[in-house]
Amino acid sequence: MAHELEVFWFSEQPYGHVTEEDLEPWESGRMHFPNTYFDPEKAHVLYSNYHDQYQLADEVGFDGIMSNEHHSSYWCMKPSVNVDAAVITQRTKKAKIAMLGNVIAVNDPVKMAEEIAMLDCISGGRIISGFVRGTAVETLHAGYPPTENRPRFEEAHDLIVKCWTQPGPFRWEGEYWPHRMVNPWVVPIQKPHPPVWFPGTGSPESVIWAAKHRYPYMNLGSLLDLTKQLKGIYHETAAAEGYEAGPEHFGYLIRCLVADTDEKAQEIGRTFLWTENHRNRGPMEFNDPPGYQSREALRIKMSRPLIGTGTMGRRMTYEDLQDAYNIIVGSPETVTEKLRHIRKDLEPGYILIYGNEGHMPHEDVMRSVELLGTKVIPALKEG
Amino acid sequence: MTTVQSGSRTTVNVNGTAVEMYSGGNGPPLVFFHGAGGSNGWQPYHEDLAQEYTVFVPSQPGFNGTEAPNWVKTIGDVAHFNHMFVDALGLEDIVLMGSSMGGWVSAEMAAMDDHNIDALVLVDAAGIKPREGEIAEIFMVSADTRLQQRFHDPGQVENYENYARELSPEEQLVVHSNAITASQLCWKPYLHNPSLPYTLSRVSTPTLIVWGNQDAIIPVECGHLFQQAIQGSQLRIIDNCGHSPAVEKRGEFVAAVTGFLNSL
Repeated sequence: MAHELEVFWFSEQPYGHVTEEDLEPWESGRMHFPNTYFDPEKAHVLYSNYHDQYQLADEVGFDGIMSNEHHSSYWCMKPSVNVDAAVITQRTKKAKIAMLGNVIAVNDPVKMAEEIAMLDCISGGRIISGFVRGTAVETLHAGYPPTENRPRFEEAHDLIVKCWTQPGPFRWEGEYWPHRMVNPWVVPIQKPHPPVWFPGTGSPESVIWAAKHRYPYMNLGSLLDLTKQLKGIYHETAAAEGYEAGPEHFGYLIRCLVADTDEKAQEIGRTFLWTENHRNRGPMEFNDPPGYQSREALRIKMSRPLIGTGTMGRRMTYEDLQDAYNIIVGSPETVTEKLRHIRKDLEPGYILIYGNEGHMPHEDVMRSVELLGTKVIPALKEG
Repeated sequence: MTTVQSGSRTTVNVNGTAVEMYSGGNGPPLVFFHGAGGSNGWQPYHEDLAQEYTVFVPSQPGFNGTEAPNWVKTIGDVAHFNHMFVDALGLEDIVLMGSSMGGWVSAEMAAMDDHNIDALVLVDAAGIKPREGEIAEIFMVSADTRLQQRFHDPGQVENYENYARELSPEEQLVVHSNAITASQLCWKPYLHNPSLPYTLSRVSTPTLIVWGNQDAIIPVECGHLFQQAIQGSQLRIIDNCGHSPAVEKRGEFVAAVTGFLNSL
């Protein structure tokens, strides 16, 4: 049976009270920007709003909710994707929960395996377990050498999957996490284990790794041409591995906001560019310390718009980004038409809606969730 | 005594690994190990030293034209590898000199086995954690910042424009590749080995420690800590000088080194 399109809701859960003026004096927008700008009381209100958005997304018919994790980042108040996923299990009934994902290179893999298995049991098998390398800052934040990120990632992945699939106790003679005895009590409800997703922005190595493991690759908002190139690498790798890749192997994250009119959506959507010049500002060596990624990956990254998880690239205006289908805002009809274009162009099995940013008013985001769920998604699924 | 042509580039086979090396001069062997930025090849201060010594300037594993064997993952591994390099050349009773990260490697080599080392010269060496100050961040900073950290007064650096110029894509590739190797070797613990102050107590080789008084990367305090760790060692502090005295105060540096070696 052909894979049916699935649409996921996603929010970075930004601390939207931060302004350009706050960020201006500091050397970088992440590790140098002091946490004295964080007010826990305000965060309490924001978290509550974001969780209401999750619940509504589930109620109006999103197939799933995606979450993530970042550290030392004012634009993402989620230092633990597993904690956020635990909340989602309790605020939703049907939606899949896609964690994209755990930064397994810098965490204890056995504990990761246990926590994800626990979430899978709690949610009744709704977990999609994404594994990520994280941005370089995640590795720096955790205090690990950047050159170790990739080998640690590989070992952590293998150990987690083994925890899920091989009865304990067993021995693990790893380079980074040697264990004489591994025997986690809690194992996942989904067999052989929860689906694994792998995200990427520009690195071809990431695409190849995902394809070799037959894991769906989620492109996090690269421009369409680059995304098609990366998707091509996935297909080539799959063919070399002896299988044919389809829409079920590929997802695409897109910034998207719906309002009752195009005019209103245009106005709200401008906030997608909130503090865009600051979020990954700093010397290149700060966001990409030596050894974190290859030269080829750096070159590809230069072609991405300066936004989202990107660190370097050419500047694009709000209008440029809309013309390039990198931001989609409008009435339900406008947005449906533009998403159809992306669907036709990229043939993704999963569309991940990056639906909220900065200080967008909560009620406007709630209305967007409602219009997406009741109008856009049904129209999109009709074809 | 060996005799080779001044400043020539060769390749040395060390247990199957090809090592890039510059060498030249006349006299007893002097082996120089470069810092975390990689080898700059044959430098004017090498030429000065080559008047009295046969000077060997290898690129360490993973830097410049030298391959990195899989097993070389720490500074201790580099020190073992460099011993193999000295053995491969058949050198005996060497003067061992290292600058910055190369000074750290040289200190580790001496702590492991100094029977073949006649004299040790450590120049603004990494390897010991300062008690008061900090070793500056060298990885998560721009190239401009790194250059500012290195020299106290660019006005006294010969051919300074050569350090500040835009690099060709090929040169950028080498710099990037060197930085990856240095990052792997030096990230954690950051540019030091907590055991080194203790293992250095076994070193009985005559040792000169040279330091730029205004070193903005590894504070001069570390020079004093090296002197305390190596019995009988001498500390020579060069004033108005940053992290690279051999470049910034070449005359004073060469005089200090040859004066020390001639006194032995």
